[in-house]
Amino acid sequence: MSNSGKKIKYKSQSRSRRVSLGVTYLILIILSVIWLIPLLWIVLSAFRCQYHPDGTFIGTVTSDYFPKYVGLKNFKDLFSMTFAGVPNAFGKWVLNTLIIAIVCCIISTFLVLSVGYCMSKLKFKLRKPFMNISMIIGLFPSFMSMIAIYFLLKSIGLTGNPEHPEYSIIGLILAYSAGAGLGFQIAKGFFDVIPNALVESAKLDGCTSFKIFRQIILPLAKPIIIYQALMSFTGPWMDFIFAKVIIGADNPRYWTVSVGLYSMLFSAFADKNLFTQFAAGCVIVAIPIVTLFMFLQKYYVEGVTAGAVKG
Amino acid sequence: MSSKTKVPKKNKLSLPERIGKAFSNFGKRFVDGSLGTKLSHFIFGAGNFYHKQYIKGFLFLVIQVAILAFMILCPEVNGTPYGWKALRNLSLKYATEGSEFDPVLGFVSFNSDCKLMVLFGFVTIAVVAIYFLVWNMNIQSSYKADMDKKIGKKPTTFTEDLKELLDRKFHVLMLTPTCIAATVFTLLPTIFMISLAFSTYNQQFMNENGTNLFHWNGLENFKAVFTGEGILGFEIRNRFLPVLSWTFIWAIFATLTCYFGGIILALLINKKGLKGKKFFRTIFILTIAVPQFISLLAVRNLLGEYGPINSLLMNIGATTQPIGFLGLKPGDSESLAKFMVIMINMWVGIPYTMLMTSGILMNIPADLYEAGRVDGASTTKMFFKITLPYVIFITTPYLISSFVGNMNAFNSIFLLTGGGPTYTGYAAGGTDLLVTWLYKVTIDQGWYNTGAVIGIFTFLITATITLVTYRRSKAYNEEDTFQ
Amino acid sequence: MKKLTAILLMLAMVVSLFSACGLTDPNATATPAQNNNSQADPGNTNPTQNNNTNATTAGSVTPVPIQGTIRLWVGDESAEFYQKICNQYVQDHPDFGYEIEVKGMDTGSVAGTITNDPSAAADIYTVAHDNIGKLVSTQCAKPITDQALIDQVLADNPASFQNVIYSTVGGKQYLCGVPYISQALFLYYNKALVTDEQAKTFEGLQEAAKAAGTKAITVTGDDGFNMSFALLATKASDHSTTVKIYQGAEAVAGGSKGTSNCQGDDTVAIVRWLQAFAADPNGFKWASPDGWDADLNKENKGVLAVIGGAWHYNTAKAALGETNLGIAMIPTFTLTAEATEGLSGVSAGDVYRGGTFADCKCFMINAYSDQTKYVKEQELIRYLSSKEVQNQSYLEVLNVPAYVGAADFIKQCYDEGKVTESQYNLAAMQVSMAEWGIPQPFLTGTLNTYYYSKNGPAVFRAMIDKTKYPTTGDTILAETESVAGIRKGLYLIEYLWMHGVNPKSFPATLPDPA
Repeated sequence: MSNSGKKIKYKSQSRSRRVSLGVTYLILIILSVIWLIPLLWIVLSAFRCQYHPDGTFIGTVTSDYFPKYVGLKNFKDLFSMTFAGVPNAFGKWVLNTLIIAIVCCIISTFLVLSVGYCMSKLKFKLRKPFMNISMIIGLFPSFMSMIAIYFLLKSIGLTGNPEHPEYSIIGLILAYSAGAGLGFQIAKGFFDVIPNALVESAKLDGCTSFKIFRQIILPLAKPIIIYQALMSFTGPWMDFIFAKVIIGADNPRYWTVSVGLYSMLFSAFADKNLFTQFAAGCVIVAIPIVTLFMFLQKYYVEGVTAGAVKG
Repeated sequence: MSSKTKVPKKNKLSLPERIGKAFSNFGKRFVDGSLGTKLSHFIFGAGNFYHKQYIKGFLFLVIQVAILAFMILCPEVNGTPYGWKALRNLSLKYATEGSEFDPVLGFVSFNSDCKLMVLFGFVTIAVVAIYFLVWNMNIQSSYKADMDKKIGKKPTTFTEDLKELLDRKFHVLMLTPTCIAATVFTLLPTIFMISLAFSTYNQQFMNENGTNLFHWNGLENFKAVFTGEGILGFEIRNRFLPVLSWTFIWAIFATLTCYFGGIILALLINKKGLKGKKFFRTIFILTIAVPQFISLLAVRNLLGEYGPINSLLMNIGATTQPIGFLGLKPGDSESLAKFMVIMINMWVGIPYTMLMTSGILMNIPADLYEAGRVDGASTTKMFFKITLPYVIFITTPYLISSFVGNMNAFNSIFLLTGGGPTYTGYAAGGTDLLVTWLYKVTIDQGWYNTGAVIGIFTFLITATITLVTYRRSKAYNEEDTFQ
Repeated sequence: MKKLTAILLMLAMVVSLFSACGLTDPNATATPAQNNNSQADPGNTNPTQNNNTNATTAGSVTPVPIQGTIRLWVGDESAEFYQKICNQYVQDHPDFGYEIEVKGMDTGSVAGTITNDPSAAADIYTVAHDNIGKLVSTQCAKPITDQALIDQVLADNPASFQNVIYSTVGGKQYLCGVPYISQALFLYYNKALVTDEQAKTFEGLQEAAKAAGTKAITVTGDDGFNMSFALLATKASDHSTTVKIYQGAEAVAGGSKGTSNCQGDDTVAIVRWLQAFAADPNGFKWASPDGWDADLNKENKGVLAVIGGAWHYNTAKAALGETNLGIAMIPTFTLTAEATEGLSGVSAGDVYRGGTFADCKCFMINAYSDQTKYVKEQELIRYLSSKEVQNQSYLEVLNVPAYVGAADFIKQCYDEGKVTESQYNLAAMQVSMAEWGIPQPFLTGTLNTYYYSKNGPAVFRAMIDKTKYPTTGDTILAETESVAGIRKGLYLIEYLWMHGVNPKSFPATLPDPA
């Protein structure tokens, strides 16, 4: 009696569970579709053919979501495009950005880690003031200092230098990574969780601070290193404001890929129906970044959580 | 060890006492110090040479020579000098009008570039500050060698100094690059921009003699905000409150929608028995991974006048005219544009919270639920009584930081609506946040003084919010409890 | 011991700062400089006195070693062409002594790029003439003093251009810009849906639009330049209008003291006509944020025609396809009885033709350019702005020449089959439209910006949309439907032209339209 009653209860429970699971699947699938629609639109646009097979022009901004004709022409055009007098501009932009991103990634990660470690594990006089000042400075939007940074960099010849336009890449790297150390909060949050006892016992064993940092802290800090590296690597691919001012509108040869893509849509150069090539460029930029994210997802989550959830 | 005992002692001194002590220290060092230390007051590194610390002494000396040369020779950039002339120029009283023209040679002289005068003035002040810092370090270093000698120790060698840097002074080694970089590329530029709030620097409304000349005008700009005079007063007085209130509304809605949306999404994905968790998570993470200027411009295109969505709506007869979802044309609905940016922001923002809460949800102690189940609580009840409070408790700091982050959500507005719909006669449009308004006013229009005034107001507001919440947060007050 | 690394790094910074400052290029500094002895002697460095181009033969000049680079910024579309021309020039003139580096710039933002940091800009740059005043007042431009070049400009250019290329430097009038491309607006239309006859009038376009279920006409932007078709419209019979912009004016502190007027009866009537035309479902359409080419695109069927310039040719061709691309003058329109009701200066049935700002693009010399290059720069400009090069640039990159009589050359090219029909039309219509336009007057940066792209167009838009202006603020234009309301709006535009700012309030009685 009681046995069978229990069974029925189990059954109904599992049924209601199945129903709720079904509903969950449904909601998630609907949401996934919503999430993918705009991104798929870019991908589809990248493959959209601007020309009818008979050779007539169809137009770029068209109202149908799915293209009538698809092909790889946009990608070909993109890589062979001469933009603002720069032949094969897109490949050069990608290369510039890659160089900038890699160097920035190394410098910024190093700065953030060192500041985060100091703030978390070392005790010294100016610790609290430093934390407060860095937080206050961080409240001013960075473009406010853009003009000043331009002229400071110009003073040391790293931008607005017609003889050596390539120097502005160094200038941009400086501008990007200079402020990085001030964004130490997440790293500090991470280091805070590493028990102090570990550091203290190492100290008693006669380890120098440097040794502790290198041999104890750094091996433990792999997630935060990867998180920081990921963040500072992706930064240069996304910024389109600073880069244009520092590299200069007259140096399209040294633009980063985001400045180039943005200009393809929003400047007089754009009077050329470049939307589908823009989309192709977006896909090419997005692929490596998305792949990186997918592989390093775990660390990304750890990083975000370390910075945000510290109790 | 020693630092631990010293620090609290020092903290007990009041400020005047500390200043007094610092001065008596200077006096004491000069009187008590060796000949080398005395000389160090005038020639950097003299004391170190005296103590045979040649490398160190040489380094000090090079710095002194370099800075003095910098101050005396006044190198010029764009015709504006650094050095002592820059300090003099900071008053802007020496700005001169040029534009004499020699038909054979071209220009003979240009107008002074006041913005560079101000900027270089601040840089020079920083250099002077560094000079005195190094001056003090050099005396201190020599004096310490004196003291070491007195107690019979050998003055430290250069190698010992370097070793010290890797140990007790490790923080100096680690922080110096950031300090220098942040001073040059963040602090100085920020001070420069703020100072323009007290000037007449407005590129578009300069006098007819050229746009490089301006002068300090004290608090006039702030007065103008209240009287509404001039372009600065007109813009700020009429647009500040609407922009500010929208910034707050936006920040509140953007934060809450993404926050709760993210929690719900995390709950859905982490539901027991659900297959393909990783697959779903990957889809949602796409919006974080794809650069915003790509994803947001895609949305803007989708919603454009000839985009697929408008054409769909027109095909099914829902509307006869394309709808201006994003307020890109004057006359488009402001409320619709505001609604749309909040919705689109959810698309970008929800995955962040989802990622974060996923981890937390899995870490909720199972016995909490067990206890709930024993009490016969329903799933919904358990969600509201256990899950939600737990998550909120843990993520409060994130909530605060994302609120401040949303107040400064430049991309979401700039790339979607561009601040539109625009209002005739004003820089600030209907969906402009303080931060995008600031961008338009300074970078697009060149009204630098107006931008600086808005910047100061904005700063006061965000700083207050941040400081109040941050100081109350556990992260600040109970920093050491974990350690 | 101490903060040794701090010292090291600071040292590195200070030293690098210091050394780099020493390296700053000499053209950045404004000192009279010591280098005026060798190059800047105007007497012997003018071997091409006897007029431009191939006057010098390789035999009669002694080659000069290359001593530097002259950098040149032109519009992106013609950068390649000018690089080719310049390379040829350097080759043909061994005594020139400089290499020339040409870069294509975004025409829309180049003036801003120059003013932000003139010392980093090119030695010679090209801008639309309405930027001359701004560039001169910000000391970015160096006047032109080479007599041969001045003579050439005087001989080649129409009086309308002559009036707008001079500017005051240090109290004296100087030639500051050398015209080489003329720019005016005309009409592109969709031949598949509009007959040539219909394209001659706004009413015809409207009729075609009704049949196609679209809007009739749009503009490429809502600014003062593109909307000039309405404000500058003139009576078709005698080219008359009461609109005056800065007539006989010169810039004075706080505004201009010349005459500006745009609230005559004819202008009021035109505004009322356009109000009705814009309200019509098959009438006028404001520029789309998706881009005017999306509007014109034959798939989207947004509008049938667009008022644009020669620089829109490739995009328009792409949007419609070569066979469907029609090119015509800006159409005429007939004032209706509703538009002229209660106005004495006009009567129903008057025919007006849409106007345009007939502008020119100019070469200018950067004020920060090294003084040693000054003479050679002017020599180069003299060549680049010569009729021969202008003609060549029409044939190769479709730049419409600015000199008087270019129409004959354009016709000749067409007759000889050197250009296609649409390429011919493009230039010919622009030349014809120039007769119906005036060059954009230019006094100062402030005044120009405000009637061109800021409040002026905004007020105009508010009037055409029959809305208030501004939405909040001091000078509220409560309504723009009545004659009085429109006249007030036009007074605002007039005031913006004169003063560059909004008036504090409206005068009790508006000044009498002259």
